[in-house]
Amino acid sequence: MSAGRTVVALVQSRPGALSRVVGLLRGRNAEIRSLTIGDSEGSGVSRLTVVIDVADAEHVVKQLNRLIEVLEVKDVTHTAIVERETALMKIDAPEPQREEVHAVAERFGARVIESGRDTVIVEVTDTPDRLAALIHSVRRFGVREIMRSGRLAMTLGADPRMEAPLHWQAQADGTA
Amino acid sequence: MSAERTGAQIMCEALIREGVDVMFGIPGGAIMPFYHAMWEYRDRLRHVLCRHEQGAGHAAEGYARATGRPGVCVATSGPGATNLVTPIANAWMDSTPLVAITGQVSSLVLGKDAFQETDITGITMPITKHNYLVKRAEELPYVFREAFHLARTGRPGPVLIDVTKDAQQTRTVPEWEVTLDLPGYCPPTVPDRTALRAAATLLARARKPLIMAGHGVIIAGATEELRALAERTGIPVITTLHGIGAFPQHHPLSLGMPGMHGWVHVNRAIQECDVLLNVGARFDDRVTGKASTFAPHARVIHIDIAPCEIGKNVKVMVPIIGDAREALRGMLDEMPARDADGWLAHIRSMQAVHQCRQAYLRRPDTDELMPHDVYAALNRALTDRGGYRVVTDVGQHQMWAAQLLDWRRPRTHITSGGAGTMGFAVPAAMGVAIAHPHETVWAIVGDGGFQMTNQELATIAQERIPNVKVAIINNGYLGMVRQWQELFEGRRYSGTPLSGPGFARLAEAYDLRAFTVERADEVDDAIAAAWDHQGSTVVDFRVEREANVFPIVPQGRSIGEMITEAPQAVGA
Repeated sequence: MSAGRTVVALVQSRPGALSRVVGLLRGRNAEIRSLTIGDSEGSGVSRLTVVIDVADAEHVVKQLNRLIEVLEVKDVTHTAIVERETALMKIDAPEPQREEVHAVAERFGARVIESGRDTVIVEVTDTPDRLAALIHSVRRFGVREIMRSGRLAMTLGADPRMEAPLHWQAQADGTA
Repeated sequence: MSAERTGAQIMCEALIREGVDVMFGIPGGAIMPFYHAMWEYRDRLRHVLCRHEQGAGHAAEGYARATGRPGVCVATSGPGATNLVTPIANAWMDSTPLVAITGQVSSLVLGKDAFQETDITGITMPITKHNYLVKRAEELPYVFREAFHLARTGRPGPVLIDVTKDAQQTRTVPEWEVTLDLPGYCPPTVPDRTALRAAATLLARARKPLIMAGHGVIIAGATEELRALAERTGIPVITTLHGIGAFPQHHPLSLGMPGMHGWVHVNRAIQECDVLLNVGARFDDRVTGKASTFAPHARVIHIDIAPCEIGKNVKVMVPIIGDAREALRGMLDEMPARDADGWLAHIRSMQAVHQCRQAYLRRPDTDELMPHDVYAALNRALTDRGGYRVVTDVGQHQMWAAQLLDWRRPRTHITSGGAGTMGFAVPAAMGVAIAHPHETVWAIVGDGGFQMTNQELATIAQERIPNVKVAIINNGYLGMVRQWQELFEGRRYSGTPLSGPGFARLAEAYDLRAFTVERADEVDDAIAAAWDHQGSTVVDFRVEREANVFPIVPQGRSIGEMITEAPQAVGA
């Protein structure tokens, strides 16, 4: 499996905006591997991170730019970024393997946030690589459910082009 | 101070404010309030009742392409709206400003599979520049303002406004003073000076330079600038299908059309040129053939208002993002005078060897009416009389028209290019005829395409539109597909033989004058009679059934590999 391309976009929250982004990716032959969207620092502006498999990423980014709602979009795959993902995992943990599950979780900096009779729920936020390593490590215990948040990506240092316009930030702060 | 209005009245007033004077449509349940209000504004807003929403959409496209102003079409929810999908897709592919207005079921039942409910904003998302579902009358002034702004600015395109029935009925005081809130939409206009300089330097030093003019030249109104640049530099100009009319064909620097059915000398010039300046064309695969083999020796300069077109199909050395007119003006400022006489002479010598035979290739064993006879006669009439527009459909007849008629002015050649929508010509010609009532509008169409939308002849008759002249190039086949089957699929004519009614009698049933032409010596008279008749006319030209369009580049092959005549079997 290839690494995919990580694309970050700042999107005006208009009706159907997410649908347009997703539809465009489908129509331009890009396969979505992960998609995360939420409020940004600006009022009425969302930021999304999407990981896609696509032959011509540059073309897809340009097409995304055509959407009226897309304020900025950037392929950050080869940019200095931090990437994080959160996962919840429901793991078989009857005695006596429960302690071992706890130990593995701890080694990865994951938290056990719920202990049931036979299972525990583990929460972790980490880089995609470390997350994959943790999932690999707990598989032997028996994993019942995995819920992943999808990739979050942010470029390092100030990146004014990717920031929501100031007046929207002010609106979000309640200062305008 | 505005008084209270219904949403439907606001829609009408918004259209008037946008300069709309005509719209094409069909009413139905969910759009009835709009039609109810329309009656009050009928002295300023003409409504043309079409017979099928596809016809309404193409008519609006024809209007837009002939004028440069957004065309407007109207339909009800459900099937009315879905019937607009083809013209919307067509407008999307051909960058035509189109505003489609659809009724939607009441917001109270939206999402409940109500009668004639279809998610038309969902359906048209990938084929519109933007679309709207309006559920509140208060939003209408803003939405209409923004929709028209998007349709006509930057790279033009279709926009759809879906309005729920209750939003059309609700009364409110319209707020016309709106400020567009479009931070994510900033179409470029003035191109980067550095890029213009780089382009001018490349062109100045080129030994075999070539200009390719596309639709963008016509949309930007840049024909004068294009001509000035060509004349100052002596660089020959080729015009793509949608670029036809951007550069007068009788000009000494005009070479003609490139691509799948382009001339041999044009495609060879592309394959030999060392710098290619593309102004407002998008390197469609029908132009490039196999893209990796296209213009192998050329450094490419690409002027386009849409950044997404740069580098999409062909590698570009100097991208110039912006309006074609601004870009050409900028290049004129930077460009020293030069000539390319030797290069032009070389291309003309290739042309002398190849062109004539291809254009008038006829089967030696037939004295049947050839399509070429029709085009030759029509060309004489267009040249002698002037004051015309030509709308073509999709297929062989379209390529013959592009090849064989002499094109002089922008917006006189209107066709369905990117989408290749059969059925475009008759309704689009109707829209063109309404936009230019004092000109004669020839719709050239095959018997296949004609049978897809000929119901609009009824609209033409009802509206007493006098200036549509339909020329059916009737060969009893879906001719272009048949040609491919002949050349590439062992003459297996699967699904292509096509019968039809007597088209003249059909037209007469619509109360239109009609002629049938079966012999070459009748063509001139029929065209003259059709032109002189004070009403719309249909001429059924029954041409040789298996005439082919040459040259042809087989799909997926290099434009260097052209087939210029039929294999032995034909005519042997």
